[in-house]
Amino acid sequence: MQIFTCLLLGFLLVCAVSVSLSKNLLNAICIYMSYSLVMSILWILLESPDLAITEAAVGAGITSILFFVTLKKIHAMVVDEEETEDSETDAGPEHKAAEAGEKGGA
Amino acid sequence: MAVFEWIRFVIGGVLLLCGLGIFAIEMLGVYRFRYVLNRMHAAAMGDTLGIGFSIVGLIVMNGFHLTSLKLFLVVAFLWFSSPTSSHLIARLEFTTDEAREEHYRQVELTELEKELAQKKEEV
Amino acid sequence: MGRKRTPEEYEKTVSYRLRQWLDGSRDPFLGRVEMKPQELFVEPQELRDRREEDLERIHARAYDMHSNTRLQKFHHFYQAFSVLFCLILVLTLLTAVSWLPTVGASERPVNNEVAARYIEKGLQETGSVNIVTGMILDYRAFDTLGESHVLFAATCTVLILLREDKKRGRAREDASDRLYEPKNDLILQTAARMLVPPIIIFGIYVILCGHLGPGGGFSGGAVIGAGLILYLCAFGFAKTERFFTAKTYRVMSFGALACYSLSKCYSFYTGANEIESVIPLGTPGAILSSGLIFVLNICVGVVVAGTMYTFYCMFRKGGY
Repeated sequence: MQIFTCLLLGFLLVCAVSVSLSKNLLNAICIYMSYSLVMSILWILLESPDLAITEAAVGAGITSILFFVTLKKIHAMVVDEEETEDSETDAGPEHKAAEAGEKGGA
Repeated sequence: MAVFEWIRFVIGGVLLLCGLGIFAIEMLGVYRFRYVLNRMHAAAMGDTLGIGFSIVGLIVMNGFHLTSLKLFLVVAFLWFSSPTSSHLIARLEFTTDEAREEHYRQVELTELEKELAQKKEEV
Repeated sequence: MGRKRTPEEYEKTVSYRLRQWLDGSRDPFLGRVEMKPQELFVEPQELRDRREEDLERIHARAYDMHSNTRLQKFHHFYQAFSVLFCLILVLTLLTAVSWLPTVGASERPVNNEVAARYIEKGLQETGSVNIVTGMILDYRAFDTLGESHVLFAATCTVLILLREDKKRGRAREDASDRLYEPKNDLILQTAARMLVPPIIIFGIYVILCGHLGPGGGFSGGAVIGAGLILYLCAFGFAKTERFFTAKTYRVMSFGALACYSLSKCYSFYTGANEIESVIPLGTPGAILSSGLIFVLNICVGVVVAGTMYTFYCMFRKGGY
């Protein structure tokens, strides 16, 4: 059990460092979700099931969803091949609408 | 009957190890495939088959108990929600793909059958 | 039925040309209306000079890193100062952590008789089998009351910041934000129909059995909130508005917080007059036991579920 706990803690460290140093914001949020999941397992290993249920529901569920919706609102979700631009100007919505119009017509 | 318990433990352990193996293959697929739909297919396979084997192994290990029913409900829930999310990912990928003609090919079923028949004749 | 017309014949008729005009696929004025030849717009030199001079002046005063020397110096100073400040903060916090007592030392206040009493007499005095729920909702009920109010304050903040005005912002949001979403996706709707009732029932089970096993108001409320979010994602805002409007949220949160505050008020009276608690505790292990914990769990769960759902609605759309 000790080795398992130490492995999980090491994974937590790697997750935390990756969230800060990741260049793609979407990846960072997915890693944050997995951080929450591993935290939930650690709470069970520390014998507190209340905290485990709450961490799973709130951390890996609601908080990550809110982060995703925030990213979408500030138009910060980019594909891997593009350069790392964090936010577009207000040409964002019309640009996307024009793209969708083309795809709808094509 | 101690032997019965032991057999149950061994069968549960083997099923759990199979589940772990499927998860390992799935992770290999998710990291190494190039296209989104391939990765999504690998992840969905891990989500359904891997979890199915793992939890069936745990059910066998646990025996005829209320906990086994709860584990079965967990499996049922995951088997409902995982294919739905795969469907949504695939649909989003298909609608927003910018190089759609390069990645996918839309073929009618009759044409595909003719192509396959021709290839069989050649071989 | 009359004789069928070939497409070439149809293209010559008036009705086809009328349809084309109505659709907008053919412009009837093109090639038929006399238009004046348009000349190229050449900017006169003085206007151009004046424009460039204005631009330079703006760059000199405004936030331009290349030409504004004051700004560059401030930038260097800011970088150095921020590193120094972080170092000082980290050193202060590390010193404070090193002054904390060692884990498990017996004379520290964290290991005094309070913790022992909670564990030994918890079941007897609160009536709940789950000691943690007994602590947060009986021994320390005021802390949980403060926490529920913090959730309420957070929701108020999000409402202030993200609530969209109906007249101004609606069209823009509709156009850009939800363009690629699956609307009325059959698979998602079927799965949601199967999954949302079990999720909500599970959330209610976790809330109601807070004093018998792990769970309680917070986790159960989060699960119910997640179920409501799934329903919203599958069926859209129009259908969810039928049962969850802004008024619903107002009634829910106000009712739950008022119920919590009022029902815990009895302890002011009993504590001041040193009377034992008047709420009957029941048998431990039954669902209707442990005094007020049952009611307080439900209040906390309602507040948390409303908070989660409100956050999601405000982030997505700016309204309910």
